[in-house]
Amino acid sequence: MNKEYINIALADDDEDDRFFFTEAFEELKIKNRVSTYKDGIELMTHLEATDLLPDLLFLDLNMPKKSGIECLKDIKANAKFNDIVIAIYSTSSSEEDVEKTFVLGANIYIKKPNDFEKLKKVLSEVVTTNWQYHTSGLNKENFLLRL
Amino acid sequence: MFITPSSLLKIVFGVGLFVILCIGGFTYQHIDALSESTEIVKKTYKLRVELEKIISNLKDAELGHRGYLLTHDSIFLEPYFQSEKKVEHSLLTLDSLIVKNKIQRKNFEQLKKDIAKRFVIFDKSFDIAEDKLILSKGLLVLLHDGKIKMDRIRNDISVMLVYENKLLLKNQKKSEQALGLTPLFLYGILILTLVLLLVAYAKINRDLTVLRETNEDLNVFKKLTEQAEVVSKSGTWIWNIDENTYHFSDNLYKLLGAEPNSFEPNLENLFEYVHEEDRNILGQQVNRMIKYEALPFVSYRVVQPNGEIRHLKAHAKLIENGFEGKQLLGVTLDVTDEFNNFKLIEERNLELERNNKELSAFNYVASHDLQEPLRKIQTFISRIEAKERENLSEKGQFYIDKIKSSSSRMRMLIEDLLQYSRTNNSESDFKTADMNELLDHAQQELSDSIEDKNAKIISDTLPMLDVVAFQIQQLFINLISNSLKYSREGVTPVIEIQHSEVLTNDVKLLKKSLFKYHHKIVFKDNGIGFEQAYASKIFELFNRLHGKSEYSGTGIGLAICKKIVENHHGVIVASGEPNVGATFTIYLPFIK
Repeated sequence: MNKEYINIALADDDEDDRFFFTEAFEELKIKNRVSTYKDGIELMTHLEATDLLPDLLFLDLNMPKKSGIECLKDIKANAKFNDIVIAIYSTSSSEEDVEKTFVLGANIYIKKPNDFEKLKKVLSEVVTTNWQYHTSGLNKENFLLRL
Repeated sequence: MFITPSSLLKIVFGVGLFVILCIGGFTYQHIDALSESTEIVKKTYKLRVELEKIISNLKDAELGHRGYLLTHDSIFLEPYFQSEKKVEHSLLTLDSLIVKNKIQRKNFEQLKKDIAKRFVIFDKSFDIAEDKLILSKGLLVLLHDGKIKMDRIRNDISVMLVYENKLLLKNQKKSEQALGLTPLFLYGILILTLVLLLVAYAKINRDLTVLRETNEDLNVFKKLTEQAEVVSKSGTWIWNIDENTYHFSDNLYKLLGAEPNSFEPNLENLFEYVHEEDRNILGQQVNRMIKYEALPFVSYRVVQPNGEIRHLKAHAKLIENGFEGKQLLGVTLDVTDEFNNFKLIEERNLELERNNKELSAFNYVASHDLQEPLRKIQTFISRIEAKERENLSEKGQFYIDKIKSSSSRMRMLIEDLLQYSRTNNSESDFKTADMNELLDHAQQELSDSIEDKNAKIISDTLPMLDVVAFQIQQLFINLISNSLKYSREGVTPVIEIQHSEVLTNDVKLLKKSLFKYHHKIVFKDNGIGFEQAYASKIFELFNRLHGKSEYSGTGIGLAICKKIVENHHGVIVASGEPNVGATFTIYLPFIK
């Protein structure tokens, strides 16, 4: 990633969560550009239209109109989006969801923290990870991010 | 070769009949021979009589002749002439008697000649005697000659008699030879016949006894079948294929709600009882039954006269036997109860499924929807703490702390509840796991609080066992964290974990277990302990022995422990002593 800033996108229907998300990145000392979408349809419409694809995409699972799982499927089916690193960003960490998103090819699974400091820590960890290296060693054990 | 009783009987009967026919034949033959020899004897006797007659008549003739010679009285001539006639008659009779015998015929011709000669002499002497009263010399010569002739006749007759006697003797011998063995033979055959008849009688008698016993058995069997039909709510029926007639058992009528034998057993009458909606399908099945001479399982409903609908199930099988020809033997079962039970179970299953769906919906609500607002509350509190704390009064800060602890307690409750509801066996899979590893993982998970309390955990080597790994790990976590939570102030917490194998029979608690062996794993701590009276209460959901402010806890942890152990078909018990410590003992079954 030789660009000056990291392009980050979040699709989440919850306004508060989008607020925490952008606020956390504002406080992090990382050069970034965050764009948020309030559902899957909005996200996919944007992704298909733009040439400036996000480096890192955070996907909430439970969204109206189009769920995170459906978005994940569509993204993985399109070669154009091959380079996007996908982080699942969900309230629950039910085994079923973790298993499903892992199989579908998501890179990491983040359970939304209940503390703002923790949120910052998690996000900075995800952003600073060398994904090319991490992806080669990806397995089910380290898929769910634990702090 | 195996001879059936009935064919043996036929053989005995045939032999007896043959023997009796033989006896008839022999008897006829021998009686025939006997009557033949009697005929011969009779003939001989007649011949003898005729010969005697000839002699006697000749003597009469001589007497008359002599009387005439002496007296010249014609009164003496009367018997003479009569005798002559009689002799002639006797000769004729003799002639007819000896037609066939050549030797006797020769003798007879000689006799006839001699008699004729004698009568010639008689006639001559009469001629001489006509004119002279006294006996002349010629007359004397004639008398003398007459005597000689008479002797010769006697001789002739005796020759004939001797021959006839010989003949008789020969005949007698012959018939004796033929008839001598006859009575013995007949008697023998008769005895044999009697023996055969006796054997046949004994056989028939025995067969009859067997038949009677079989009949009795059949009767008993019939009664039992009737009883079985009543008890099992079934009926039997027979279709005689060759005659196309049916037989229905009494209970089959009762299954239809009818009195036994209240209608002619045939298909038309049966169909009167069949439910309208089922007539078509049953009709098709029956047509197939008639075509293929077999009936697979077929279910249909009948409407009893009182309007009650019963569910019946029928099945039939073809048999072929010698007497009755081809028969289809059928059984019809009343499956109404079964049907109703099945329906009930189906309804219950649906209800259960609905309940399960509701439960998983609740799980989702608890895990996702409930956690989301809570998470936001906590996140906003963390924002206030980080950014706005200085702007709050002391009271405001105190309130914020209270909100913080309450919301974290609520999170704990939700998480524990979720854990509890997820701890069920339906989706878990048992795999062989190293329990030492699971204990290690549990300690890693709790490493922070173990370090905080400076606790010591001493463990025996634990066994390998078929378990649901994450559940057992949770069990260890819950037990250890329980001990850490209820440690005594100022005392270094020590948790001892001991393991041993026990025979199920040696432990009273395991009376109901079907396994022979159990692993006994004991968690012993030196914490605050508890009153033994609460030993079983602490495993109940939401049951706490201490106030919330003294010790944090949801009252779910040990309930989860109990559920996990029970999922593994084991038993968990606790014992405690206040201010000494608590002991949790787990028994997990295994197969050696």
